[in-house]
Amino acid sequence: MVVSVRSWVANEGGKHLVLMLWLGVNTWLFLKTFLLYYTGQQYHYLYKMLGLGLCISRASASVLNLNCSLVLLPMCRSLLTFVRGTHTVSSRETRRLLDKSKTFHVACGVAICIFSVVHVSAHLVNVVNFSVSYSDDFPALNLARFRGEVRHKCLHILPGVTGVLLVLILFLMFTSSSYCVRLSNYEIFWYTHNLFIVFYIILMVHMVGGALKYQTNLEVHPPGCLRANQSSTEQQGKELEQGEDEERRCREEAHFQPHYPQVCLCVDSQHFPYTWLWVSGPLCLYCAERFYRYIRSCDPVTIVTVIRHPCDVIELRMLKKNFKARPGQYIVLNCPGVSSFENHPFTLTTCPTENKKTFGIHLRVVGDWTERFTQLLVPEPRIDLEILPMVQQRRYPNDGWTGFRLQRLYFVWVCREIQSFYWFAELLCAVHHKLWQENRPDYFNLKLYVSQADILQGMSEDKYRPLTSRLLVGRPKWKLLFDEIGKTNKHKRVGVFCCGPKGISRTLHRLCNSARSSGTTFEFNKESFS
Amino acid sequence: MGKIEWAMWANEQALASGLILLTGGIVGVAGQFRGWPFAAYIISAAGVFVCLLEYPRSKRAKGTSVERTGQYCFTVCVKSFGPLTRNYYVRAFLHAAICVPGGFMLATVLGCVCLGIASLIYLAAAIRGEHWEPVLPQKETTRKTDPVSVRNPPEMPPPRPPPEVRRKRVDDLEGAAYDNPIPVSDK
Repeated sequence: MVVSVRSWVANEGGKHLVLMLWLGVNTWLFLKTFLLYYTGQQYHYLYKMLGLGLCISRASASVLNLNCSLVLLPMCRSLLTFVRGTHTVSSRETRRLLDKSKTFHVACGVAICIFSVVHVSAHLVNVVNFSVSYSDDFPALNLARFRGEVRHKCLHILPGVTGVLLVLILFLMFTSSSYCVRLSNYEIFWYTHNLFIVFYIILMVHMVGGALKYQTNLEVHPPGCLRANQSSTEQQGKELEQGEDEERRCREEAHFQPHYPQVCLCVDSQHFPYTWLWVSGPLCLYCAERFYRYIRSCDPVTIVTVIRHPCDVIELRMLKKNFKARPGQYIVLNCPGVSSFENHPFTLTTCPTENKKTFGIHLRVVGDWTERFTQLLVPEPRIDLEILPMVQQRRYPNDGWTGFRLQRLYFVWVCREIQSFYWFAELLCAVHHKLWQENRPDYFNLKLYVSQADILQGMSEDKYRPLTSRLLVGRPKWKLLFDEIGKTNKHKRVGVFCCGPKGISRTLHRLCNSARSSGTTFEFNKESFS
Repeated sequence: MGKIEWAMWANEQALASGLILLTGGIVGVAGQFRGWPFAAYIISAAGVFVCLLEYPRSKRAKGTSVERTGQYCFTVCVKSFGPLTRNYYVRAFLHAAICVPGGFMLATVLGCVCLGIASLIYLAAAIRGEHWEPVLPQKETTRKTDPVSVRNPPEMPPPRPPPEVRRKRVDDLEGAAYDNPIPVSDK
């Protein structure tokens, strides 16, 4: 399939730009730190002892600092929602970029894992070199106690212990965050990922450092200078001027000092004294965000209506004080009666409006949480009693239609069984009738697909006629659908919103990027919670 | 937390530990650690072995199993060992035994600890009665019986106007045409 440049730029351009920017910053930081330790005067003796291991370990450490601080920012979801909703971010491209925050988080996480491996490997080599290249000239620099010492591990020093602990926690977090573990056992992922707070606390301690020292008295002891009873080897056979030799003599012995986190704000561009600030800033922001979410969740929610739909779907209408939401947003439900720590996201199917404050979700009973939740809400039917239908509030969507720039809506819904369409049958028919009355029949185009051909159990009710006449058997042929929509909306921007399994999502993404003669741009958006 | 399949997580951990062991072995060789010829090669071989054993994912007890790319040939190899690879107790003790030599060389200590953790989780999975099932391609299930409408074609023809109206009226083409109520244009 030929890719259309305009569609590709609309769908992938922003993402790739941010990726390039992020890679560029990481590369720049790595190279800058590498060169600092490679050529810096204050690290001259240390570099002679440790070699490239020093440069690689420090350079990867600075990249790790950057990514550990960036990885938390996309997870401040309330903050991102706020930024997304304000008028400062009015561009649709920026809003769509903000939607991809989870991908950025994953990218930073992968970078942390890769550079941790590099960092640990380089430090392992450093430990060997500390022992092999034990320096008699500068005993203060050494980590080993004597030449050839086999330090069966630098576990005797604080950065070593904290380093091992950090890698273990990272290992646990990384192995539980693969797609299949998230899909099958989300709790394992959630509980291990919350170990991040332990990770960050240990990281702050790890940064205290102390093993690698830098030279503090460069003015009086330029590196490479000659000591009092030495003469430079390359001048041996040549006549030397007394003055030149004098200049190259050290006036003092070299003094070394380890890096400590500096509290004063003196500008010292060479030492990156603010490494712990990099991480603590976003960490405080994220902790504030979690605290805010907790405070907001303390307000109780009243369940107003519970409606049972076919195929194990429950519609829940709720009421909460000062709750505002816009179409397309989702809420996270926590029911202490079922489980205190589990939070489950559900897309809002009814938003609160000025006239009607209730909001609603549709939830499908699939796992143990939803099953237990439904049992609490809807009691099991007893054979001797007849369950009376609950009073349902039906309000046609009379309010909230103005102010949208939407010109046309195509709603394509694929279900396995026909019974599933009952979940929204009322709403769809109501919308259809309303638009018919307003003489805008082409505003809302409905296409329903049933993948299992069992049409005999069709929707026989007369009031659902608009649905039955738009019902097709079999899976939709997406390419034909896109061609049709493209032809009827030439040179326009069509937003595609996909909520479904990966297979459909991939197909639609590919189709959105492919070239078409009608000049329509399809912008792909998808929603997934796993 | 009652329905968690611990073996799936242990599998991810064991695969990652195998890679860490392999990396540790390579670093041990490159950095010329003490005892590097023997230890590093053994550890790397152990790492490769663990990776090969853990690469094919097990079939889930409930739900869809997500395979790793190209895992079919590994599945066949691992399946051929029968109860040795099916039982998670065997795997737990095997990993515990493999991880011990890693603890003697600095470069592979981390691999040792990670594999130890994976071994513990495999033990937990084995105690809960889980076992390894190969993911084999399913035979094509017979298609469901065709819908009734195909088996019983309609018996009556659809209603049509009488033949006089259907015949083309060549003598009155103007009268046969009709005006479109809504103007149609192709913009």
